[in-house]
Amino acid sequence: MEYNGTDFGEDSFIGSETMNIEKIRQDFPILNAQNGRKPLIYLDNACQSLRPLAVIQAVQHYYEESPACAGRSMHRLANEVSRQVDEARQQVAKFLHASRKEEIIFTRNTTEAINLVANALDWKTGDVVLLTDKEHNSNLIPWQMLAKRHGVCLKFVPSNSDNTFNLSAYQQALQSGVRLVAMGYTSNLDGVSIPAEEVVRLAHKHGARVLLDAAQTAPHQRMDVRRLDADWVAFSGHKMLAPSGIGILYGKYRLLEEMQPFLVGGDTVASSTYEDCQFLPPPEKFEAGLQDYAGIIGMGAAIRYLQQVGLEAIEKHEVTLNQYLSEALKSVPGLQIIGPADARLRSGIVSFFIPGVDHHRIALMLDQMAGIAVRSGQHCVHSWFNARGIAGSVRASVYFYNTLDEARALVDALIKIRKVL
Amino acid sequence: MFCVVSFVILSILSVFSAENRSLAREALDCVLRRVTLRPCNTGFDEKMKAKILGFVITKTETGARILNRFFEPLSWIFILLFLGSTFFAVRGVYLFYVTGSCNGLNQSGFCVFDPTGQSNQISNVGESCPVVLPGEDPVSLKGVNLSGFPVMNENGEKRIVFIGSYGCEYSRKAYPVVRQLAEKSGASFTFLYYPVKESSDYLAKIGYCAYRQDAQKYWSLVDTFFTAERSQIEDESFIRQTLAETGYNPETIAFCATDPQTEWTVKKLLNEVVKTGFFGTPTVFIQNEVLIGPKPPRVYAIALNGLLYWAR
Repeated sequence: MEYNGTDFGEDSFIGSETMNIEKIRQDFPILNAQNGRKPLIYLDNACQSLRPLAVIQAVQHYYEESPACAGRSMHRLANEVSRQVDEARQQVAKFLHASRKEEIIFTRNTTEAINLVANALDWKTGDVVLLTDKEHNSNLIPWQMLAKRHGVCLKFVPSNSDNTFNLSAYQQALQSGVRLVAMGYTSNLDGVSIPAEEVVRLAHKHGARVLLDAAQTAPHQRMDVRRLDADWVAFSGHKMLAPSGIGILYGKYRLLEEMQPFLVGGDTVASSTYEDCQFLPPPEKFEAGLQDYAGIIGMGAAIRYLQQVGLEAIEKHEVTLNQYLSEALKSVPGLQIIGPADARLRSGIVSFFIPGVDHHRIALMLDQMAGIAVRSGQHCVHSWFNARGIAGSVRASVYFYNTLDEARALVDALIKIRKVL
Repeated sequence: MFCVVSFVILSILSVFSAENRSLAREALDCVLRRVTLRPCNTGFDEKMKAKILGFVITKTETGARILNRFFEPLSWIFILLFLGSTFFAVRGVYLFYVTGSCNGLNQSGFCVFDPTGQSNQISNVGESCPVVLPGEDPVSLKGVNLSGFPVMNENGEKRIVFIGSYGCEYSRKAYPVVRQLAEKSGASFTFLYYPVKESSDYLAKIGYCAYRQDAQKYWSLVDTFFTAERSQIEDESFIRQTLAETGYNPETIAFCATDPQTEWTVKKLLNEVVKTGFFGTPTVFIQNEVLIGPKPPRVYAIALNGLLYWAR
């Protein structure tokens, strides 16, 4: 199979604001699969996105044409991989508007990126880490471990009653002296984004560093880390068309230089003796061992694809679908949407529950009766659900390849289910 | 209760499909929790219920609503149906093993292990044959005088009585099995020849005369008649040749067969056979059992030596 890096067809995209969704959908093999089952309606994009042919081909191309190590061997295959990895790093840096490509560290996923920051800083007892009250476990458990190991103090900013960010509570929390603000940029629970620029500005004003968990942001809206001024930004590839097993940690270069490496070993050092070693500069000192080159190259292809579609158009499309869903779901008796009533504040996520009805049962029935894939449970935000005594929710999350017809199918199916349950 | 039903169904399905194996394992876990009076917290019930409802709702919303509402009682009904069908299935297997028919000894009706009903097939006594039609009285040896019939191992502890006809396909099938069983077990073996077709009527007289003349050679003659081609036993020259080869004098036997006294005696013997109330051949009496039709060898053995016949 020949791969040219951008062979998904320019015709797929009409400008940056509108999209030819039917054409785009043709790029996703699973959406066109004829396997005798009901056509897939994939609304679990907050968990993992589907992959376009361009990404699949990029991965396949690596394994077929240059399955070698980057930055070690000198032969032509290795040189080719090194070039492609370098190109992907450059691509990510450009995607985030980073100052330099060395600020981009490849990790396995967001979780590993957050763990890297948590384990690479020099913590002192009493250091305060400030979180929101609806963090994904990936941005909660690493800090809980620090609290247990180093006596770090965790503080939580309570959300407003509609689950939006409580800026005044945040400002108040900053007064008490915070070392790190670690917050989900966009919540995977309800799709609500924090006012990140303001959060960073205020944190810096109070001498705190900021780590943003952008796993639900990077795939859906334009990000400019320089404008944001965030110190670290973490996100995953698998939610933004890239292969699973590849993630990104962006960090300001100066800070990366100061940080101790987290995972160490091969490729992190320039040289070593029996007693000591000399670490390479970032990003190498954080990328221990053989890397997921296929994933990195796939990440580059995914970003190229997203940029072709246009993140502004993606964001606009998702909000449109969410507005329709939020309005239409009002006709389902007893259904409660988590988060603010205004769908524009919830990006592409509609998380809902019906008191007295098991959320897993709803999700399974949607799959069985209409081929609709949604997530059910506590979405790795157990802390939020447990604190409120809510068993869980059903989460429908759209992406740019979802259509209004699919949104309608979800609503129709839920109306039917509600009549039965 | 749903997990019990699911476990059984999925276990059967998982023999054929790997997809169902993990579900069967989940169901088992759920069943184990239930039998140890712990709640089924694997989510299996919910998962399966949702899957079933998701399927039914696409067909009928009302049906799905009813199913959702009465899921547990319906599970119980399925459990009871399952237990009932299991009982009948086990009973059928047992009866087939013991009697050769899922429905019981000499009972017709469909049996999955014997779909053509082989073990109950008999040659009915032909319309042109004298005497018998199926009677209402049970087939039995009660009041039947067996003293004039050929018998082997007369002093055997157990008794086998075989009513058969050389021309009957099913008798030909059963005879060697029963004969071998009698020889092996030392049971007495009485042979009641009954010509189901008139064309083989004369063989009754031949047999009677042969047995009178030499009881030892007689069994060899019977063996030959049962194993010969059916067309041959209607051929007089073959009969003569067989008699000669067995060591009889065909002329003497022929003379005896035409004797009016022989005719009278044979008629009397055949009337004794009719007294059993039998309606087709083969009919085999083993101890207190009456086995009609050619049964699998184990059925005769069980009737003679009990369920553990193979251990003897």
